[in-house]
Amino acid sequence: MTTATVSRWDRFRESFFWYSFKRDKVAVISFVVLMLMVLSAVFAPLLAPADPYDLAQIDILNSELPPVGLDGSDPAFPLGTDAQGRDLLSTILYGTRVSLMIGFGAVVLQAVLGILFGLLAGYLGGKIDAVLMRIADVQLSFSTLMVAIIVGAVFKASFGNLMFGEIAIYMLIFIIGVAEWPQIARTVRASVLAEKKKEYVDAAKVMGFGTPRIMFRHILPNTLSPIFVIATVQIANAIISEAALSFLGLGMPETQPSLGSLIKSGFDYIQSGSWWITLIPGLVLVVLVLVINLLGDWLRDVMNPRLYKG
Amino acid sequence: MALLEVKNLDVRFAVRGGDLTALRGISFTLDKGERLGLVGESGAGKSVAAFSILNLIAKPGYIAGGQILFEGRDLAAMSERELRKIRGNRIAMIFQDPMMTLNPVLTIGTQMVEAILAHRKISKKEARAIALDRLQKVQIPSPEKRLDQYPHELSGGMRQRVIIAIALLLDPEIIIADEPTTALDVTIQAEIMDLLLNLCEQENVALMLITHDLGVVSQVTQRMLVMYSGRIIEQGPTREIINDAQHPYTQGLINALPQMGEPGARLFQIPGSMPSLKNVPTGCPFHPRCSFATDHCKRAMPEYVRSGNVDVACYEVANLIEQEKRMQEAES
Amino acid sequence: MTSPLVSIRDLEKRFDLSGNLLEQITFEGGRFRRKQEAVHAINGVNLEVHKGEALCVVGESGCGKSTVARTVMGLLSPSAGEIHYDGQRIDNLEGKAALPYRRKMQMIFQNPYASLNPRMTIQQTLEEPIRFHHPGWAATEVRDKIHEVMHSVGIDPDWGSRFGHEFSGGQRQRIAIARALAVDPEFIVADEPISALDVSIQAQVLNLLMDAQESRGLTYLFITHDLAVVEHFGTRVAVMYLGRVCELADTKTLFATPRHPYTQALLSAIPKLEDDRPNHIRLQGEVPTPVNLPSGCVFHGRCPYANDRCRQEIPQLIATDGGGQVACHAVEEGRL
Repeated sequence: MTTATVSRWDRFRESFFWYSFKRDKVAVISFVVLMLMVLSAVFAPLLAPADPYDLAQIDILNSELPPVGLDGSDPAFPLGTDAQGRDLLSTILYGTRVSLMIGFGAVVLQAVLGILFGLLAGYLGGKIDAVLMRIADVQLSFSTLMVAIIVGAVFKASFGNLMFGEIAIYMLIFIIGVAEWPQIARTVRASVLAEKKKEYVDAAKVMGFGTPRIMFRHILPNTLSPIFVIATVQIANAIISEAALSFLGLGMPETQPSLGSLIKSGFDYIQSGSWWITLIPGLVLVVLVLVINLLGDWLRDVMNPRLYKG
Repeated sequence: MALLEVKNLDVRFAVRGGDLTALRGISFTLDKGERLGLVGESGAGKSVAAFSILNLIAKPGYIAGGQILFEGRDLAAMSERELRKIRGNRIAMIFQDPMMTLNPVLTIGTQMVEAILAHRKISKKEARAIALDRLQKVQIPSPEKRLDQYPHELSGGMRQRVIIAIALLLDPEIIIADEPTTALDVTIQAEIMDLLLNLCEQENVALMLITHDLGVVSQVTQRMLVMYSGRIIEQGPTREIINDAQHPYTQGLINALPQMGEPGARLFQIPGSMPSLKNVPTGCPFHPRCSFATDHCKRAMPEYVRSGNVDVACYEVANLIEQEKRMQEAES
Repeated sequence: MTSPLVSIRDLEKRFDLSGNLLEQITFEGGRFRRKQEAVHAINGVNLEVHKGEALCVVGESGCGKSTVARTVMGLLSPSAGEIHYDGQRIDNLEGKAALPYRRKMQMIFQNPYASLNPRMTIQQTLEEPIRFHHPGWAATEVRDKIHEVMHSVGIDPDWGSRFGHEFSGGQRQRIAIARALAVDPEFIVADEPISALDVSIQAQVLNLLMDAQESRGLTYLFITHDLAVVEHFGTRVAVMYLGRVCELADTKTLFATPRHPYTQALLSAIPKLEDDRPNHIRLQGEVPTPVNLPSGCVFHGRCPYANDRCRQEIPQLIATDGGGQVACHAVEEGRL
């Protein structure tokens, strides 16, 4: 078994994918930055100096301390504190974690729905295609935010604020996932339409294989490259959507801050001179979204078969 | 002096991990009004050879050495501006896919007039008259109507006729035709080839025909080159090569044709397939597939030897010629 | 004579061009009309394939030969007519009932670059059909079968873990043949199996197909545009033009004495090595579109022998003295 894994690793190292990655400095830097952010977010409980969820660790007297290097800073809080006296570094680490979870979660949900509906529409065609794609069109004609605002308001009204805080993360994943599935469904459908004309699909039909087997075992693996590209970009979009919702007060509650709710919570104090509470999480959000998008661009270039000349 | 003389042409492709040699030491001549066939299987380098004559090889390909003398001037050393005066004007090209030449959003007439005006300072009206004349020459039914039609309104055979008409627009010296009928049906292929042959004879245009079809080559050309893995392995008069091929590869290629075999019997087959440019064998590139190969063949590329009017690059053929000579000497 | 293995009866296939109801409505001459258009790909084809033979179907692009192949294999459903295999009607079978025929009938495709799933290794490509059709087989049996078919097509079984794109065109076509042979079929439809390959590779693949026919007792329906291949490979030949069979005969008879004017033109157009220039029979005009079929004989617009009867009445296949069949009024009337 080891020989197989070794050869797969060798194959990867000789591949065009790895080769173009190594040559593209932007992609390498983006990847490294993203990995650092993901790892520090995943290991936030170990890395963060304080636990922002633990009310016992918060002292209101430490509120609005500036970052190190400015007048009145405290070395215990390298990035300063927010209005409630929470360590900003810790809240950012935890906030990135929440944002990434919502981003990945929403995209997984989008991908499941999008792949399923895209495959069905593309492969079966006819009425199923027409119905599914019209639903997708209708869905896309509402903006994500609009749907989220309505659903969020309904949730909030029916569960109450306390309960809402607990389920907010799942609700956001659900809303963003459901609102954006047509993007992936359309991409999948387009590749399925191209793939199903190829002779290997006919060969599978001639073998007598059933429709589900042909769709999932034969066609789906060949449509993964574009899904991969679009999913990367969609993670960035989902993170932005979440931040926007949180900023509007419809996302994560301040007790469980995401990057968006951190920005919002600091926004009220920007006039009073405590700019760092908003600016630092804002920068983190920008960098996070930027590196994901840069990686997405690079992936799209690499996986474009017309550019591929391995 | 020959109209076109290619001397020791080397073409390489710069890819990661070093250069790949696509053409090695290609030398041949083309006289005025002569019809020359370039034969080989895919990957033999015949299209690269055609494209490199007009310096049209796309990056990462480049001409690494040798000369392409057209009327004594070296096309390989010419600037892009000077080359543009020759392309389409003195040397025209016909591609396999007509849509590579035709712009789908312009009418046939517009495209033909544009091609003329790029090289000649005449009025649009005169240019249109030339275009009409060429369409008549390629025997398109109702040529006036075609001038105002778009490429997609024509059938594949008619499009290829239009392409030939465009190639003839500026009375070129040479037409390079790269697999002009491969995408067409046999009956249409026969008509297009017949047309091309007649036009070349009437107008005294030299034709360089690139094809994999030995039947077409024997019908149309006077001399032929056989290419294998970027090298010319045999060249000479077409009839002589078709009737009595010297190189084992050419022999194999001819004998592998179904029309050469006894119906229902196994066909002659050359084992293996053409090596990719990435791993061309040392010595004679054909040796791994050749039944006559010796250790000698694995070491060095054979020089050309002359047998009759044919030049062949093969040690086996050289040996046979040597033996024959000795026997003749012994007899006398 | 024994009953045929495969028989194609009055087969017709139309492809609808006009789309849904909304797209069919056009505004013409001051009023709305519903306009329906269809490509008439096959128009009444009758063919029988006998056990052990190679029936070649030849014709130029658009003549419907590939549609015949795909309809026989069930990739397309006929608009009219029936397909029978070994006496059993199969064109209306579905699901489980069709499975035994999926094993007995296999297909080889034209483009070896598209007919192998790019995300599957050779091993997976060959293993899946065997496991699917023999769910009870032990792992060793499956492995032995894979080795056997890979050997028989001349591919080293050690290459099983490679992907299709690591092979040359000829090798890929061998693998595609191995996949078809893996389920031990009796009947193989080969749709232009060698036209995408180089000359020296064509000979290898043709030899392979002939060897397989001999050692496994296969029956072929061989679709091609290359008449030189037909002369070599075919037991009998059917020449198609615009969705109809215009001549059907033993290969020898057809090449020695072609009767239909179209067959004659087609044969004369093959470039031969002994020719010094093209010497084909010139046909007038071009192949009409299969959307608006000509009345009468589909070939009349290009035929030098056409008369009024040809323009009105559709010729039926009639037996000739050579043992073949030809659909031509001129031959029937002795004008040709």
